[in-house]
Amino acid sequence: MQLLLYGVLLTFVVFAALAVAFLRDILSAIIAFAGFSFGVAIVYILLRAPDVALTEAAVGAGVTTVLFLLAIVRTVRPGGDRLFERVAWGPAIIATGLVGVLLTTVRSLPTIGDPNSPVATSEITRYYLENAYPQTDVENVVTAILAAYRGFDTLGEAAVVLAAGLAVLVVLRKEVYV
Amino acid sequence: MIDLLTTHYNYIASILLFGIGLYVVMGSPNLVKKIIGMNIFQVGIFLFFVTTGYVDGGAPPVVGHGEETFVSPLPHVLILTAIVVGVSLTAVALALVIRIYDGYGSLDEDVIKEVQVDD
Repeated sequence: MQLLLYGVLLTFVVFAALAVAFLRDILSAIIAFAGFSFGVAIVYILLRAPDVALTEAAVGAGVTTVLFLLAIVRTVRPGGDRLFERVAWGPAIIATGLVGVLLTTVRSLPTIGDPNSPVATSEITRYYLENAYPQTDVENVVTAILAAYRGFDTLGEAAVVLAAGLAVLVVLRKEVYV
Repeated sequence: MIDLLTTHYNYIASILLFGIGLYVVMGSPNLVKKIIGMNIFQVGIFLFFVTTGYVDGGAPPVVGHGEETFVSPLPHVLILTAIVVGVSLTAVALALVIRIYDGYGSLDEDVIKEVQVDD
């Protein structure tokens, strides 16, 4: 049952990504990308990662889509009567080569959900799960790590967002707002 | 190969997303679509990371409600940071695309190259 659900969702995600790749109209591609992000968010829920799923749905499917829409409002939306783009064979061969090489490595990865996988048995995972609540009083371990143990990392993330915001203003010549 | 589909499905999907993302970045002449391709590649990496933390029968990493096994919280934290950084990256890239459009009047890579040659 679980496997069937994964099968349906992952097929949807991969086909949405293919739609992005081959739809000629940019607006259609952006809408396909929003659906793709939403499908991935549901896969994260199946993987018991609710925080990542919420962020992906809000930021990946929401904010990113709005940014793309703003960008095509400011630029052009190339027309044309064809629905799909032509296949660019050179890049297609290179991408297929990459997929082929990476697929040969899949067999050496641990099975999905394996309780003895290196990540699940890692000392760090065990430490956080055992100590996050006693040390920080936060039940959600992801929040505890994000805001307490890796607080400086999150501060750096905030710095990145600030730098990106300033860069956008400078690039668009809106220094007057800085 | 078929048995891998039932045990490593998410890894295979993320590898397919790498391929599609790379194809869009390289093959699409439109600059906005190249950035969408970059995002697809990123999502492939996110899916890979979150999958490594999954444990069968594990609960979401919220402790204190009686569950015994949890999925690993660390990949989730790393990916939360990466999603936000990815959006910042997309915003800057799109701002550059808008400036390129103002300068060249096109988003098509080949047209932009022609304009550069003519100058």
